[in-house]
Amino acid sequence: MIIACLVVGAAICAVLAIRATRLLSAALWLAGVSALVAIALYELGAQQVAVIELSVGAGLVTVLFVFAISIAGDDAMTARSPISRRLAVSLIGLFAALLGWMVLPLDAPESATAAEATFSTLLWEDRALDVLVQLVLIFCGVLSMLGILQDTHISARQETLEAAVPDERFSGNGHHSPEPLTDTPPVETVPEEVHA
Amino acid sequence: MTDWLIVLTIGIPWLGALAVWLTGDARPQLQHRLAVIFAVAAGAAAVALLPSTSSEVALRIEVGSIFGDFTFVPDGLGVFLAVVASVVGSLAVIFSVDYMHGEAQLGRYYTLVLLFIGAMVGLVLSGSMLLLFIFWEITALCSYALISFYNDDPKAVAGGIKALVITQFGGLGMLVGALIAYSYLGDYQISTFLAEADTLPSDVLAVMAFGFLAAAAAKSAQVPFHTWLPGAMEAPTPVSALIHAATMVNAGVYLLARFYPAFEGVSGWTTAVILVGMVSALLAAFMAIYANDLKRALAYSTISQLGYMVYAVGTGAIFASQFHLLSHAVFKALLFLAAGAVIHTVGTRDMRQMGGLGKQLPFVRNVFIIGALALAGLPFVNGFWSKELVLEYGYKHGPLWAYVGMLIGAGLTALYTVRMVWMVFFGRSQKRGHLHDAGPAMRVALGVLAVGTLTSWLLIGGFGEMLEENLPFHHLHVESMATLLEEVVTAPATYLALGVVAVGLLLWAWRDPLAMISAGLWPLGEAATHDFGFEWLNARIVAGTRAAAGALRTTQTGWLNWNVAGIIGGLLIVLVFLALGA
Amino acid sequence: MTTSEIVLVGVLALLGAGLYGLLITRNLIKVVIALQILVKGGLLALVAAGEASGQTNLGQSLAMTVIVADTVVAVVGLALAIQARRLLGTLDLKALSNLRG
Repeated sequence: MIIACLVVGAAICAVLAIRATRLLSAALWLAGVSALVAIALYELGAQQVAVIELSVGAGLVTVLFVFAISIAGDDAMTARSPISRRLAVSLIGLFAALLGWMVLPLDAPESATAAEATFSTLLWEDRALDVLVQLVLIFCGVLSMLGILQDTHISARQETLEAAVPDERFSGNGHHSPEPLTDTPPVETVPEEVHA
Repeated sequence: MTDWLIVLTIGIPWLGALAVWLTGDARPQLQHRLAVIFAVAAGAAAVALLPSTSSEVALRIEVGSIFGDFTFVPDGLGVFLAVVASVVGSLAVIFSVDYMHGEAQLGRYYTLVLLFIGAMVGLVLSGSMLLLFIFWEITALCSYALISFYNDDPKAVAGGIKALVITQFGGLGMLVGALIAYSYLGDYQISTFLAEADTLPSDVLAVMAFGFLAAAAAKSAQVPFHTWLPGAMEAPTPVSALIHAATMVNAGVYLLARFYPAFEGVSGWTTAVILVGMVSALLAAFMAIYANDLKRALAYSTISQLGYMVYAVGTGAIFASQFHLLSHAVFKALLFLAAGAVIHTVGTRDMRQMGGLGKQLPFVRNVFIIGALALAGLPFVNGFWSKELVLEYGYKHGPLWAYVGMLIGAGLTALYTVRMVWMVFFGRSQKRGHLHDAGPAMRVALGVLAVGTLTSWLLIGGFGEMLEENLPFHHLHVESMATLLEEVVTAPATYLALGVVAVGLLLWAWRDPLAMISAGLWPLGEAATHDFGFEWLNARIVAGTRAAAGALRTTQTGWLNWNVAGIIGGLLIVLVFLALGA
Repeated sequence: MTTSEIVLVGVLALLGAGLYGLLITRNLIKVVIALQILVKGGLLALVAAGEASGQTNLGQSLAMTVIVADTVVAVVGLALAIQARRLLGTLDLKALSNLRG
């Protein structure tokens, strides 16, 4: 069955994405998950959702990941989590087994209620408030992203202003990290460089 | 037409908030001017709503069948409060032109004030409980931000946070009530709920009723949630006049009055409402007698007067309670703004350092005395008529113990009022330089409110008609103006109340001969200055919460992985419970 | 097995993979990836549940909402990661959480 193949493929991609040591390959496996899920959605009859998922989830978000990784660097992470893999696997196994045991097998599917509204009516009219809140959410997301990305300039400017006063805020981290990413030298010492 | 007026009354102040904010703090003159223009325009729009009151939905915003429509209903109760909010709001803004002259960050101040005015109008006009809750929270947020306006003062910040936490607690009660109504009736409309309230199981209705009572008590600063209001006095005085005397604190009384028909039958509810009102009225009156901070004394008197309104709702006197609300909004805004003028020129809020200001500030003295007459309930200003109506109705329909308590409260009110006037404007005068009487903008606001205090009782007839006509669920029968006034004048209850008020005044006049007795009452004074232990209770709750937070902090390892493990663990527990249950 | 049941097994696998990732990774960007995988599972579950309970369109319209929220989460998470790397020079969550001020 095609659905089974798609779902299994998505699960395999997900595991590979989690196991990947390099961020870029993890992001690409994620794109694979997204694409397979989108096709599965299409097969399930959720065409609109599938199209959006394919373009936004597999397309836009992947581009963003690649962009972010190229800026933030793709060094392999060697540091280990405090949770051993064995504990993690057993926790997840317990969780999945319990949930699966509760959910499966499903009760016989009810026949679709004849009175159910169409997809667009449901989304745009019955849940108009939700759509409104989503718009606000998108707006907030854009604003916070702008704020976060602009922050460098603002804090750099502040530090230029406060150059006379030693700024302790970042002592012991960014400016003294073993391998600073940016070419900009520590700001306290050469404030003029900030605007370069 | 009506729908546009509603949009304007809410939209104009919000637009004004945006305009003032965008103007920027570099142009304070323009900010003052814009704020006044927008506030006055909003007031005019609200007044224009008066002729078109009806119980029908005037404005319907469709937000989908799942949430129910957002509706605005311009009925008598709502429109009257909208007018109070936007007219007193515009007067407070006019007053601010002088009061906030030269202050930094005017943009933030006016933006929040205008945002508040719009939200308050929305609160009283909304016909959907969900929308009501949203506006309710916006007003709480504005109140918090304005109490903490001087955010470099730790007292102001603490007061703001206290107000926010307490009113949020009440807001939760209201949200629970609204959700219960929705889950049973499938609709957030207030009219649906009022019509079908008796179809709900009685215990469910009781949960709603007491949830709404908690919300109202928190918002209207009633015992045991009253402690935030004195702390809110750190706000700039026009804000105290607008939000913490004339409008937002009335929202609780409004809520009780609005839902009274549904909760009337819940056993114990009306008694609880009467009790909350009476205890608040009495305790706050005692605290006002012993307060030395002018604004705090006024805040306690606000709690006390709100207690009268809550009591009136409890006895079923919706009309009397709303009429007292109107009177109180006008005269208390007047008292607060006059106190603001005094504080502005003297530079202190401590009444012990005032004294003898009457000669130097004749205008402020005169308007303050007018407001004080109304507060004390002396004839024939607006406070007299409304308070007598409340007491008369309480005597006829309420329990006797509550009536006696409210009578004593009236005497105490007279006592603390005359004490306040005396300490500020008369008595031994302090050595001080030349003081400026109120500025022109202040005079406009004070003058209008003083005239309102003297005359607003003349509206009694029209006001009653308005409430009677379009509150279909309340079944109000309000007599004509002449009958009402005659009733008040001829009722023996009136003379009894006046007698008690006179006793209160005499207590002050004979305070020297009575010094022995008042000295004997020192434990009472001690308790009143310490807020009858409620502040202590508050502090204990805060300390307990902090201690619990400190103890729970050890679970915050700073490891995301452990947090996720905790979440999965919680999920597993829930799943096990579900599996066992199923 | 019906289609919905097959999909639900896949949902369990996706949820498990995502949660496992959250448990073992210390890299901020990897956390965002794990969250994305979790949400994909949720997406499939919503559509399948809608199908199984006869409310196909409700499930789908909710899934649409999930995509929006999920994208916003990804965008903000990635912006945070970029900023953390720029200012603090690390993506290690432990190092970041030690910086509490």
